[in-house]
Amino acid sequence: MRQLIVHYWKEKVRSPFWQKSIFLNILLGFVAIYLILNFIALSLFADKILLNAYPNQSVIFSFSKILFYYFLLDIVFRFFMQQLPVISIQPYLTLPIRKRTLLHFPLIRSVFSFFNLLGLVLIIPFFIKVIAPTETVSYSLCWLITVISLIFINNFINFFLKKSFSKKPLVVIVLVALIGLLLFMDVTGTVSISIVFANFLSNVSLSGFWVLVPLATLFFFYYLAYALLKNNAYIESPESNVNTKIGKFRTLSNKGVIGSLIGSELKLILRNKRPKSGLYLSIFFLLYGFIFYNELYLDKIYMLAFVGLFVTSALAIIYYQYVFSWESSFFDTFLVQKISANNFVASKYYLFALMCTVSYLITLPYAFINYKIAIVNTAMFLFNVGISSIIIFYSGTFSVSFIDLGKSQFMNYQGTGAHHFIMMIPLFGLPLLIIWLFDSFGMKDYGIYALGIIGALAIIFHKYCINFVSHQLVKQKYRMACGFRE
Amino acid sequence: MIEISNLSKVYGKKFSLTIPTLAINKNELVGLVGNNGAGKTTLLSLMLDLIPATNGFVKSKGMAVSKSEDWKNYTGSYLNERFLIPYLTPTEFFEFIGGLHGKNASDIALFLKENEAFFKEDAYDKTYIRDLSAGNKNKVGILAAILPKPEILILDEPFANLDPSSQLWLKSKLKELNNNGVTIVVSSHDLKHVTEICSRILILDNGKLVKDIPTNSNSLKELENYFNVSSI
Repeated sequence: MRQLIVHYWKEKVRSPFWQKSIFLNILLGFVAIYLILNFIALSLFADKILLNAYPNQSVIFSFSKILFYYFLLDIVFRFFMQQLPVISIQPYLTLPIRKRTLLHFPLIRSVFSFFNLLGLVLIIPFFIKVIAPTETVSYSLCWLITVISLIFINNFINFFLKKSFSKKPLVVIVLVALIGLLLFMDVTGTVSISIVFANFLSNVSLSGFWVLVPLATLFFFYYLAYALLKNNAYIESPESNVNTKIGKFRTLSNKGVIGSLIGSELKLILRNKRPKSGLYLSIFFLLYGFIFYNELYLDKIYMLAFVGLFVTSALAIIYYQYVFSWESSFFDTFLVQKISANNFVASKYYLFALMCTVSYLITLPYAFINYKIAIVNTAMFLFNVGISSIIIFYSGTFSVSFIDLGKSQFMNYQGTGAHHFIMMIPLFGLPLLIIWLFDSFGMKDYGIYALGIIGALAIIFHKYCINFVSHQLVKQKYRMACGFRE
Repeated sequence: MIEISNLSKVYGKKFSLTIPTLAINKNELVGLVGNNGAGKTTLLSLMLDLIPATNGFVKSKGMAVSKSEDWKNYTGSYLNERFLIPYLTPTEFFEFIGGLHGKNASDIALFLKENEAFFKEDAYDKTYIRDLSAGNKNKVGILAAILPKPEILILDEPFANLDPSSQLWLKSKLKELNNNGVTIVVSSHDLKHVTEICSRILILDNGKLVKDIPTNSNSLKELENYFNVSSI
């Protein structure tokens, strides 16, 4: 077991990703510390906040209700974001190590995940400040044990959910919908499970004996996860590698080199996990409009332009932020085959335009909220196709890190480099700057028209833009290829 | 056909490849041998402009490969898995490569039929390349390299991971292509294969070209002696 921990540690520390992007890791570290501090503060002041919000309820009761919401949302977030610790067990299978040790290891390792830490910092300050001083020792202990068990039950449920359902998007959607429905019913007060939950929590804590129930549930889910891992502990995967549904896109390959490159790229998106899960992610971006298109923001042209930039390019931006990195595992193919850099970039440009068009059409109905949205989004759409595409592609030639197509997009920063952050400055700054220029002359709305016209001009002269990028690509190709090979 | 002059590639302080001069003539079948780390793959990568040379250049038909892209029209190559597109099926990959050289689906079907003994694509037409075994990936890569009827063929360790009958097939295929005028450069660890098919053998050691010999009946012995000595 100790050796395994050492190996796991080495795997993490020596992973090329860790060594390469220190910048990104520092950033993520800050976000994590910020979240933890927030949760601690929330927990410490929970009694005051809850007393203000629900003066007629006991603070512990209200807190328990909040915990119910937290646990439900926790499951959803875990499902999408928590990475299960996987030690690749293949090299160990034939060594004289007991299989049980190998299987318990990732489960126990998962106890130390960031999500569990978040749960603990939400609960423990509140426990120390409110529950421990006011309630009896047995009540406090039982309360603590129950709540902590619930955190870890979530942890192992997530194992189960991820292992069994990560390949079936439908189940995931049903699950999210179910949790959404529960929350909705609770908030509207139709069926309040949170009250049931809070009552349950206080009864368990009062009785003392019943604390065995959450503990037993915890062990049940632990063994469920264990059994699942055990079933998967053979090198041979249970599902066959034969694919029955194979899309053809044959019409595309009749359209010359660019056509077959686009066909190949569409297959890349549809047949690999990372780009596919990126597509799901971009659905959230399309929904951004519902947050921002309201009274508060409709008069703020900067905000409208910003949201317009996002929603009309949701599909394209999520995918093309890694524009050339997608091919990192077979980039050499493009270097030795009869494909000019120009055609390569052009195929990506046309697909980018296509994706923007789809996003634009999907989000056009936002115009029912206010006609202004249609104008702004049309301008931003033109700008995206004409200018944003070039900014993103140009920035993409600086990527040197390999991307594993088989991993999920959620919380996956493989392939992200400093150039992504630098890219954001012109990508978001340029349109806002142009609006600001017009705004400072008192012609606010003309800024939007100007963006549309600039975008349209860039589209008309797209051949030159593509040339510009492909020159840059040729200049960078050795550096990129060398980075991708690592 | 291929000319190398003053070529060098330096990696840090530990390794460098230097080849003052080397010419590979049309219709030669050149075998490249050497122990691990001798620089075989580096040399082939330089011929294909996959890595930039520190100094000097490789010329193909008189044009430097790093300057002009014309060589891509008549050069077939397979060095490793990174030449394959992992999420395509073998057939789709052949059609993609063939399409770049103006071949249509029926040309490719005919080509695959001719080479059925080497790779039976029917058996794998629903499998993505990423799920194929190492040997089958190798076969797909080799076939894709000869599919466009290249004038120059560059292969790195083509016999690795191949089953015995495929090795025999490949040997006779390379000879046949060579008889039809294709210039071939192959690297291999198997001295026997190399002496059997190649007309000329180059030995690389620690980044230097140490021997350049035409093949004859004594070649195998000579090579075995050479590698025996240098290993002690």
